[in-house]
Amino acid sequence: MKRFYLIGFALLMGFDTLAQLSFKHAGSGAFPPEASLDWLLRLLAQPWLYGALLGYIGAFFTWMSLLKHAPIGPAFAASHLEVVSVLALSAWLFGERFSSLQVAGAVAIVAGIVCLAMGEPDDAESGSEQAAQLAAGREPRDAGEADGGAAH
Amino acid sequence: MSALVWALWTATVLLDTGGQLAFKAAAGDPDAGDGLARWKHMLSRPWLWIGGACYVLEFLAWIAFLSLVPLGRGVLLGSINIVAIMLAGRWLFGEKLTPWRLAGMGLIGLGVAMVGAGA
Repeated sequence: MKRFYLIGFALLMGFDTLAQLSFKHAGSGAFPPEASLDWLLRLLAQPWLYGALLGYIGAFFTWMSLLKHAPIGPAFAASHLEVVSVLALSAWLFGERFSSLQVAGAVAIVAGIVCLAMGEPDDAESGSEQAAQLAAGREPRDAGEADGGAAH
Repeated sequence: MSALVWALWTATVLLDTGGQLAFKAAAGDPDAGDGLARWKHMLSRPWLWIGGACYVLEFLAWIAFLSLVPLGRGVLLGSINIVAIMLAGRWLFGEKLTPWRLAGMGLIGLGVAMVGAGA
């Protein structure tokens, strides 16, 4: 079961990271952004856009499978901790540099996400409850546990 | 950050929060019934459609936003959505703000301000 979580959370982070990297590439490819049909068409012609969609769909199904068994707290944290992997990859792939103030800010954000995860009920029962809600077709998370929506 | 970047960032926060709340309103409707009838009920009411429209617009606003800011910074600034949705959930659905949640929201808010100030 431990392996199931590890692989599941790693997959979730991987899909979320893929989506964000693809968004960045797609946006850069269609640069400059403007409120016009031209921009939309340039965007639709970006192969990366479809990478972003793949990342989304993958993250959605991974999240659903995880929630069947995983406690909601860790699952919540894992679904937002892609900020860490995205930061590392931005520095590596795009050569982005961060000031010490920004690094401190990033640490505060991650600490905040961990606090939110700690505040969620930790028993597997609530995980099953969420899964039951999913099976019934209900919105999987209450507003407090929302996954940051389409773009995140 | 330029005015356009600010406007796009604000738009993603508003659209994301609006979308989540609309989906919550659609899903939480007690008259909806079960199974297929439930989906028919939701499709015949505006909430699901409003939520979907918010997400499509947010998708575009987020790409535009990310094409103007470095990716790492953009993703950090986007974390404010978590706080916005929790506050909206408290306001509209009376969801509880426990001490852990308040601490988490405070830290995320502070962190986003620090990242934004250093941009």
